[in-house]
Amino acid sequence: MIALTLLTLIQQGAPKLEGFPGLAAGRAPKVEIAWNRLYDTAELYAHFDRLVAQWPELFSMQVIGHSVESRDMRVYTLHNPKSGAEADKPAMWVDGNVHGNEVQGGEAVLYLAWYLLENYGSNPRATELVDGSLFYLLPSQNPDGRAHWFEQAHNAHSSRTGVQPVDDDKDGLFDEDPPDDLDGDGQIVMMRKYVPGQGDFRLNADDPRVMERVPANDKGIKGDWIYVGQEGLDNDGDGQVNEDEVGGYDMNRAWPSMWFTEFVQGGAGPYPLYWPETRSIARFILAHPNLAAVQSFHNNGGMILRGPGAEAYGEYPRADVAVYDELGKDGEKMLPFYKYMIIWRDLYSVFGGFVTWTYEGLGILSFTNELWNDDSQDPEKRIEPKERYFFDDKLLLGAGLVPWHPYTHPLYGEVEIGGFKKDVGRVPPSFLEEEMLHRNALFCIRHAEALPRIAIQEPVVTDLGGGVRAIDVIVANERAIPTRSAVAREKKIGTPDVLALEGKDLEVLAGGFRGDRFRPEEIELQEHEPARLLREAGLGSRAELRVRWIVRGTGSATIRYTAEKARDATRAFELR
Amino acid sequence: MPILPLHWAFCVVVAMQDASPPPAPPPALELLDHAHLSSALKALADAHKDVAQLVKLGSSRGGRSIDALRLAGAGAAQDKGRPAILLVANLDGARVYSSAVALQHARELAGRYASDDKVKALLDRTTLYIVPRANPDAAEARFGTPRFEQRASGPGVDDDRDGRAGEDPSTDVNADGVIAWLRVKDADGEWMDDPADARALIKAERAKGERGVYVLWPEGRDADKDEKVAEDAALDARVDRNFPDGWEQHAKDAGVFPTDEPETRALCDFVLAHPELALVVVYDAQDSLVGEVKSVGDDAPFVKRIPPEGVLESDAKLLGELGKRYKKVTESAVKAEGNDKGTFTRWCYAERGLLTLAATLWDIPLEEKKKDEKKEDAEGGPKGEEKPVEQAAESEKSPQADKQPEEQGAGDKKGDTKKDKDKKDDEPKPSDDAKRLKWIDAAGASEAWRFLPWTPFQHPELGAVEIGGLAPYARLEPPASESGLIAQKHLDWFLTLGELVPRIQIAECTREKLGEGVWRVKAVVENDAYLPLLSRSAQRTATTRPARVHLDLPSAGTRLGGNVQELLEDLPGSGGRKEYNWLVQGPDAMEIAVTVETPHAGTVTKQAQQKKATEKK
Repeated sequence: MIALTLLTLIQQGAPKLEGFPGLAAGRAPKVEIAWNRLYDTAELYAHFDRLVAQWPELFSMQVIGHSVESRDMRVYTLHNPKSGAEADKPAMWVDGNVHGNEVQGGEAVLYLAWYLLENYGSNPRATELVDGSLFYLLPSQNPDGRAHWFEQAHNAHSSRTGVQPVDDDKDGLFDEDPPDDLDGDGQIVMMRKYVPGQGDFRLNADDPRVMERVPANDKGIKGDWIYVGQEGLDNDGDGQVNEDEVGGYDMNRAWPSMWFTEFVQGGAGPYPLYWPETRSIARFILAHPNLAAVQSFHNNGGMILRGPGAEAYGEYPRADVAVYDELGKDGEKMLPFYKYMIIWRDLYSVFGGFVTWTYEGLGILSFTNELWNDDSQDPEKRIEPKERYFFDDKLLLGAGLVPWHPYTHPLYGEVEIGGFKKDVGRVPPSFLEEEMLHRNALFCIRHAEALPRIAIQEPVVTDLGGGVRAIDVIVANERAIPTRSAVAREKKIGTPDVLALEGKDLEVLAGGFRGDRFRPEEIELQEHEPARLLREAGLGSRAELRVRWIVRGTGSATIRYTAEKARDATRAFELR
Repeated sequence: MPILPLHWAFCVVVAMQDASPPPAPPPALELLDHAHLSSALKALADAHKDVAQLVKLGSSRGGRSIDALRLAGAGAAQDKGRPAILLVANLDGARVYSSAVALQHARELAGRYASDDKVKALLDRTTLYIVPRANPDAAEARFGTPRFEQRASGPGVDDDRDGRAGEDPSTDVNADGVIAWLRVKDADGEWMDDPADARALIKAERAKGERGVYVLWPEGRDADKDEKVAEDAALDARVDRNFPDGWEQHAKDAGVFPTDEPETRALCDFVLAHPELALVVVYDAQDSLVGEVKSVGDDAPFVKRIPPEGVLESDAKLLGELGKRYKKVTESAVKAEGNDKGTFTRWCYAERGLLTLAATLWDIPLEEKKKDEKKEDAEGGPKGEEKPVEQAAESEKSPQADKQPEEQGAGDKKGDTKKDKDKKDDEPKPSDDAKRLKWIDAAGASEAWRFLPWTPFQHPELGAVEIGGLAPYARLEPPASESGLIAQKHLDWFLTLGELVPRIQIAECTREKLGEGVWRVKAVVENDAYLPLLSRSAQRTATTRPARVHLDLPSAGTRLGGNVQELLEDLPGSGGRKEYNWLVQGPDAMEIAVTVETPHAGTVTKQAQQKKATEKK
């Protein structure tokens, strides 16, 4: 089908390109989406549905479950059904937004779908991906958290959780003391109090909007200000403020590999896949053994992350690390200011993370990208608070900031409320969003282009005399991702690959994988069913496999390579 | 009369000491299939509406209902926060006998509530949830033909890695109604006759100059013609390997992910939904009462951020004492320590902080009990010398346990007690199976079913083989003469649990006038039961809500000092106390009280009494 599409293009002669080529002077896209905005759950799903309406033959939606608040868990499937069944194509999973506040992952997933669809039929590589492989796209792992973050008062860091009530402070009441939007502006910002000569903060001399800590000194110099926490009240009268928010767990600590309970890993919940969102995703992924690539989008910090999430796991097998490294290093070039990192070593320990489950549990090479790096991980490039105010002042005309304003608090008395808004810090300002989405979506495409592809070369038949023939054939994986990752081989995940010789008039006397290019007799003979050779190790990264069968008989024969994570390959030939 | 094993005889002696006319041993328990067990539970709930209700936990993968019987008397003294005890049996599908014992408990408790003070005390103080059969799908194999020990009830994997799953399960090839063992004479074999008893097999040790003569398989065909017999079962995942704590990812019996088995998840959800649970009892394949519990220090450092495995020392001490009491009442010496990874017992303790008393009710005894040994056992003496790990591998072995046959006889050397070592080295030491055969022989004709003599058979793929060995359920179901007695003794023990669970009291509650309108309020919270308010594990897991201690002050009163509420976690049993003080302001006439609320140890309020002696006027 790939060949067919390309052939069609060539036959048309100097083709009049249809669709969106991805260059600035190119044709207008068929579906215009503003890439300088972020969309709440309903709006985001609506954009996906526009793509379904435009390309119904390539793009479809299914609901795989529901969130705690009964929002759809939606998976969009992108592929060309005419080029083969879903189960026979190597698949890539892309999702975003497991943390409700880390919203732009949803837009990144949308951008990936849009970009491939707009370029299908005009760009050969996009066409090949849509014809030859398959994408399962989940815009949001946490549609409730996303909806709450958009629709309710929050800050950049809140609404990370899902919304199932949890008794965070162990008083028998659930979610009874969240932060409160005291001034009703839709933002949860900071509260500060003027305490002349008794504080630990002072106002910056050049820019009084900036609070700075008074440097330690022996002269008794104090500041005039203290922070008194996030905007909020002691709603339940227990003497604590904001100590029992909505939810209070982490759906990226809920997955079965290296899962540990709350006292080891905060947010893990009572057992793996406890929340309906996580369980529906796990069930979907488990039902699709053709998945051979996973990308999950978070924010922020500019990172391309891979496992292990925990030091105790040990390092991943070397063969898999080599593929990770190849993709990760390309990623660093495609995503300037992003770093390719190991989760536990370079960031922090994560037990029960999503991408560590898909790799350690299911043997799928998996990345998490932390989109947007306002706070660069590189200390040299760390943005100082003052620069943030400068940026807000000069490039956003102050739109990102709630100016300090007075409020009479029942516990703290006269305070001031102010600080950066929820869409400052962890998401880019609108004018920088499209670049972020494009680069990350194209990193997915880089990953998808590495999905395994098997080719069977022309078999060589040697007459050994007495009616006995040898059939030698080379089977190759042309791509970087193995048909079976090293971890899959070691842990016996999934099904071994099978290389079969079929022919109705053939008697297969022996068969096996050859260990040596020059000595055909060096065969690792498979004792049982030599016509159906088992390959636990699969076909490695750009690996070749030499096979020899000894047969009696003639006629039509077919060699077939079957792998869960690659399209089956066949080669028919005649034995004369 | 068949010759009884010694420890059975001893039980009778003890029983006879209690009452002068020797009571007839209680009748053997009837083993019920799912339909009969369900109707028995329903009939029980219907017959005792005052104390019993049927509660559905969920459904098995095969659609069978998993039921609990809830038993609670009228006692309302501490109804808010009334503690509950959960009894779960038959997680291991083959341990159908344990479900009969749990049902016997339920019947006796419901039936004797009105007439028996001990039963009334238990049911008035606690709520009981009894789940006789946590794994109804696998248990059903006990009642089918052919009979075999089914432990798995969940998805199968490709055990032999040939790209096909479940294509070569065990089968009853000789059509005798049971699935046993199959041995083939083979130069590649690893097994040989036990010189002590040729009916038993031991693994040949080359270092001793021994050479194997048999290959041993579970009874079955070689359906996929790969020269391996019954090596790829249709089902692999087991309910009691599928709990989250210590779950063994990629182990074939562990399941796809923790709680993927519906039975497992139903039990987890039940525990989560019942914060009133104060104690868990498990009658199954685990043991935390007889053998030594593996323990770690309360503050043992985490290794690479992971806590070391084991029961925390403070809790292990409690289990040690409870084990001593258990052994005294039940006279059980059945150990089954071993692989507790992914089990309900381990999850309840390690992740929910619930002290979990696990008992394996019966096994064929390996040794004839001597009286002094028995005493040593009850004291928890130096028997720790034995190797629990070997014992564990041993306890699992049966054709249907999905263990590779190599594990058979893994405990061969366990019989090496000090006395054996003193014997001449050339005297053959019987393997564990040989010891079991000795017991079976001594038990007489009624127990002869437990061993199937090796019988020649012409196998469709392998040719001449022999089929025989220990019969399914041989090591899981006690003889009829013991069946009812074990249940009775365990019920006697179970009746003692009610007074153990934590119980909050306000031992003192006083108000002292410090000056006009200013009062010091003092309350002492006490736990007068045996178990602590929260186990050490529960304090760590923070899963059981701590006690909430607060002052009840009328609107005329103002709190001048002390917190509006205190959360109390660490309150030991056996009289553990904690004092709280508040400073309040208000008129002399105002009433002041202190309330302590818990989900699982009662809720109490006490008025503060004026403390006159120290009044300062």
